[in-house]
Amino acid sequence: MIRLALASLFNRKASAWLTILAIAVSTLLLLGVERVRHQTQENFANTISGTDLIVGARTGSTQLLLSSVFHIGTLNNTLSWQSYEHLQSLRGVAWHIPLALGDSYGEFPVVATTTDFFQYFQYADKQQLRFNEGAAFSHADTAVLGAEVAKRRQLGVNDQFTIAHGSGGISFSDHGAHPFVVSGVLQRTGTPVDQAVYIPLSGLGIVHGEVHGEVSITADHHDYHEPPVYTLSAVLLGLNSRPLALRMQRDINTYQDEPLSAIMPGLALTELWRTLSLFEKALFAVSILVVATGLLGMLTALLSSLRERRREMAVLRAIGAGPATIFSLLVSEALILAIIGVSLGVAALYTVLGLGSDWLLTNTGILLRATPLTGTEWSFLAAIIAAAFVLSFIPAWRAYRNALADGLTIRL
Amino acid sequence: MTGTCIELKNLEFQWPGATRPLLSIPQFTVQQGERVLLRGASGSGKSTLLSLIAGIHTPKAHQLQVLGHDMGQLSQRQRDNLRANEIGYIFQQFNLLPYLSAQANVLLAEHFSTARRQRIEQSLRASKLSSHKEQARQLLLQLGLSDSDITRPAHQLSVGQQQRVAAARALFGAPALIIADEPTSALDSEHRDSFIQVLFAACQQHNTTLLFVTHDASLAHHFERSIELTELNQVSQESL
Repeated sequence: MIRLALASLFNRKASAWLTILAIAVSTLLLLGVERVRHQTQENFANTISGTDLIVGARTGSTQLLLSSVFHIGTLNNTLSWQSYEHLQSLRGVAWHIPLALGDSYGEFPVVATTTDFFQYFQYADKQQLRFNEGAAFSHADTAVLGAEVAKRRQLGVNDQFTIAHGSGGISFSDHGAHPFVVSGVLQRTGTPVDQAVYIPLSGLGIVHGEVHGEVSITADHHDYHEPPVYTLSAVLLGLNSRPLALRMQRDINTYQDEPLSAIMPGLALTELWRTLSLFEKALFAVSILVVATGLLGMLTALLSSLRERRREMAVLRAIGAGPATIFSLLVSEALILAIIGVSLGVAALYTVLGLGSDWLLTNTGILLRATPLTGTEWSFLAAIIAAAFVLSFIPAWRAYRNALADGLTIRL
Repeated sequence: MTGTCIELKNLEFQWPGATRPLLSIPQFTVQQGERVLLRGASGSGKSTLLSLIAGIHTPKAHQLQVLGHDMGQLSQRQRDNLRANEIGYIFQQFNLLPYLSAQANVLLAEHFSTARRQRIEQSLRASKLSSHKEQARQLLLQLGLSDSDITRPAHQLSVGQQQRVAAARALFGAPALIIADEPTSALDSEHRDSFIQVLFAACQQHNTTLLFVTHDASLAHHFERSIELTELNQVSQESL
């Protein structure tokens, strides 16, 4: 039966291949969308880990999260150095990373911070940042590059570059007078860290003219250190114990001296992802429709082949094939088409992942890995084949009826 | 093996929805091993009669016996099995699956029939042939095809060769009855005579009954018995 179906399909190579191609492309699209969805979500959740609270000036949680973690958008409000010092003094704070944003190096954001960033910042499954070469910045005029920045700009340790005020590539105020020297390059993380330049707070203070190099520490005020910068964009806090986060969030949100917002990154990420899920659902719906189109194409091809195959059916009837055999012949043809199509689709997916994932990462920032098929993906494939099976009942039923009606007379 | 192969008794058949019967045959019998020519003009109901005998359409009970089976009482599946096992059918034209080789077309005959497979196994043991394929090849050679034709796809063969392949498939696995529906009408007279001769020889060898239907009266001299369908069919006589 299978051999017969294969031989018959081979006889109709052109339409069979087109059908297989349509199914393969729709499978590729469905799996691709699912993979982008799944891995984007994973990457998304992997961007920050171990940080219990993100504190910024009073603003929405999504905005604070986007700007401090993803470097997307700008924060209009800043929090003062005094507030930062207050945060450090809170009981239960294990570590703190100040972030000052707003400058850029080409299309890459510049993040001014302290060396604590390299020590405490974690991503994915509590993984620490590691240096590919060099080390953390030590002077005001040194900088650390994310892996992608170093790769795209061909920069290594001891190379010089200048940053610009404002974000978004073209700026009217270059800080050309204050070049930075690369002190280290981070290993690739697959997170926005790769796309950023890290400089010390004092470095930012100098280029902005808030403090002036060596004179920054003066003895004018006793017991008072001039801060490297007066304002920060956000502060990442790590706590001694996680359950403390809720109470501390409330405390910070009700801080009297300055209006502040504290968010829990995990919660904010989930919230943000939920708002993005509409887009994701639309994408998924489109790929389901493409699969339906592919299967309808198969249905069309099988149905239209029935007319020219009446002769073939009559021959099979003459040698003793019952109508049930004719029925199962068409079902097995559909299954063969679907299985080959789905297999080709999967092969195409891995080809695309193998050849195109670098391109995708550099051009869109989407990290796709050629991991084995997940349970969900297997169930999609099974669903496509099951749908083909069910749809094939239509031409099979037609062929069954034809076989009964035509018998051995061959209508030419 | 002697006995009745086909027996019609007061066969009446009309298509559903038709106002009057197409066939009404009081009596017609074909003995096992007989070679019978049934002559009839097109539209005289011969195709319908053949499809009743072949078990495609169902007659009423007790009207048609084929190889001892009352065709009116067999189920669809039983009739399909009877056809697969015991009846070889040759069409006027387009007998073969064009994309299979001549040999593969012949082998199709045992695809749906366990009885044919068993008989071939038996004859393999009796003869020195090694495989079913080899047996199919021998049959094709016997029917006048060359070795190179045997492996060619059927659509590359001439019409005459295709009809011989069709005959080989009908004969493969030694069924009791061969029904040939105008098998020579697409052939020229020279090929026609040689086709009938090889068909006869093969039928004789296996003691196979042959029911040969044609509109061509000039073939009658080949047959020991020749019948006009109009003589059998009461309906046709009235309408003519």
